[in-house]
Amino acid sequence: MANVLEIEKLNFTYVDTWKKVVSDFDLAVPEEEVVVLAGPSGCGKSTLLRAVNGLIPHMYGGQYSGSVTVAGKSVKDTPMRDLAQTVGFLFQNPENQIFMFSVERDIAFGLENLGVPRPEMRKRVDEAISLLGIEHLAQRAPHELSDGQKQRVALAGVLAMRPRLVILDEPTSLLDPRTAAELVELVGRLRKETGATFVIVEHRLDLVTRVADRMVVMDRGAKVLDGTPSQVLFGDEAELYGIAVPAATRLQKLLAKDGAVGTDRLMGPEELAAETGRGKK
Amino acid sequence: MMWLSGGFVFRRGESAYHQLDPRVKLLISILMFATTLLAKAVYEMGLVIAFMLAVATVATVLRRVARTMLLTATFSAFIFIVNILVTKNLETSSLYATRFVAIVVSTSLFFITTSPDELEQVMKTFRLPRDVVFAFVTAVRFIPVMMLDTVQIMDAQKSRGLELDKGNVFRRVRNMIPILIPLVVNSVIRSGELAEAMESRAYGAVPKPTSLVEYRASTRDRLVVLASIAFFVVVAYSFYFVPPLQLP
Repeated sequence: MANVLEIEKLNFTYVDTWKKVVSDFDLAVPEEEVVVLAGPSGCGKSTLLRAVNGLIPHMYGGQYSGSVTVAGKSVKDTPMRDLAQTVGFLFQNPENQIFMFSVERDIAFGLENLGVPRPEMRKRVDEAISLLGIEHLAQRAPHELSDGQKQRVALAGVLAMRPRLVILDEPTSLLDPRTAAELVELVGRLRKETGATFVIVEHRLDLVTRVADRMVVMDRGAKVLDGTPSQVLFGDEAELYGIAVPAATRLQKLLAKDGAVGTDRLMGPEELAAETGRGKK
Repeated sequence: MMWLSGGFVFRRGESAYHQLDPRVKLLISILMFATTLLAKAVYEMGLVIAFMLAVATVATVLRRVARTMLLTATFSAFIFIVNILVTKNLETSSLYATRFVAIVVSTSLFFITTSPDELEQVMKTFRLPRDVVFAFVTAVRFIPVMMLDTVQIMDAQKSRGLELDKGNVFRRVRNMIPILIPLVVNSVIRSGELAEAMESRAYGAVPKPTSLVEYRASTRDRLVVLASIAFFVVVAYSFYFVPPLQLP
């Protein structure tokens, strides 16, 4: 399968600063993969994401070397308007990416900017609305929505542009646990229905590892771990980089020492209990 | 501030007046505004206000308009007193005071029945540049967000011992500084995030963006325009050329 995202030897330093925020970063993501990107705050995750969606170098200046290619387009040499249709970016705070006064118009915002003709736009807006199941919100104003609803509306606006690659920057940080779980499940479903590739920055690993195929850990601008979520989380290094290994995974690791369970895949609490013969089958 | 938000902020409504094309509502408000300038006697102004209240009743916003009127009464009284002191003329002073109320009502009628999306449409009709229109839409969009921000900052500062309503006027104004600075800083950060999100959604990609919804004036809109202009001409004529009734 072709790679949707290819990052080669990426280095970046913001203008007027001395610290290299991303250093010698390599990553190749094949189509339809869901990748979790983790790492301590300030490790360069946000900068890396900006470099993928083109905000770097088109909006933020600095020292740039290496290359980022998305769906065959070199990010550096492709204008933002083309990139906007290839890479969708869901920012951390949904509030600041809803511009219009009605949900429906906001979902259309990107398409309006691209000059998509009205009938086609209508079709794609309706499609995005039904993908996210927000038909009942279509006419609402942004201030009439809950945080979880805003997150869905913002995601609909991103998906209406039909991107090949969708980036989610800490999408659950403002959500309560139940809404967060729903959002992560939604990502799993969207991957199947849209065939898009997802890169998610997330700290709540217990949730996001349910849908992720791969996990990349970043530290001080460099890629330090890369593998399936179970490879990364059962390894001994993850905790050294400040990754919050989920409690169930830590338990599984302890149990695995006496051979009670395997470590080929991550198990939830129920499954662990069942495996060790203590839970209800 | 609160009376401003109450009297000028749109809330969704289902009335026939709400359904009118926003440009028609703007025209009606402009004509009403013009009429307030033409009225030369207090009883004429009274008629104008009564008419506006009738329109407000049709638009099912009478209660909100009435509240706005009550709240403008303070300013209106101020205008009345200053005029009395300067002109010593009861008739003109009351005319100016009531005119102020009428002007506020005519503009508020437009703003409380016209959604920001419709305002945007009106601005597009005047061929304002896309950036200006968008700046306006965003400003309106973020009013509730900023209000919430303000409340949170006020609470935070109060919990740290800031006494907002203590002291004389100057002291109180100075007390606002610890509220304003975080608010401005927040907004600057927010605007940076907005800019990123706009870029990511192809803002400014083509010179002529399309629009999801289309506003088209209906036959009813046209009829209302004709009727409003005709009515305005009659009223303007009678106010301007027919000498005012002499009150006993």
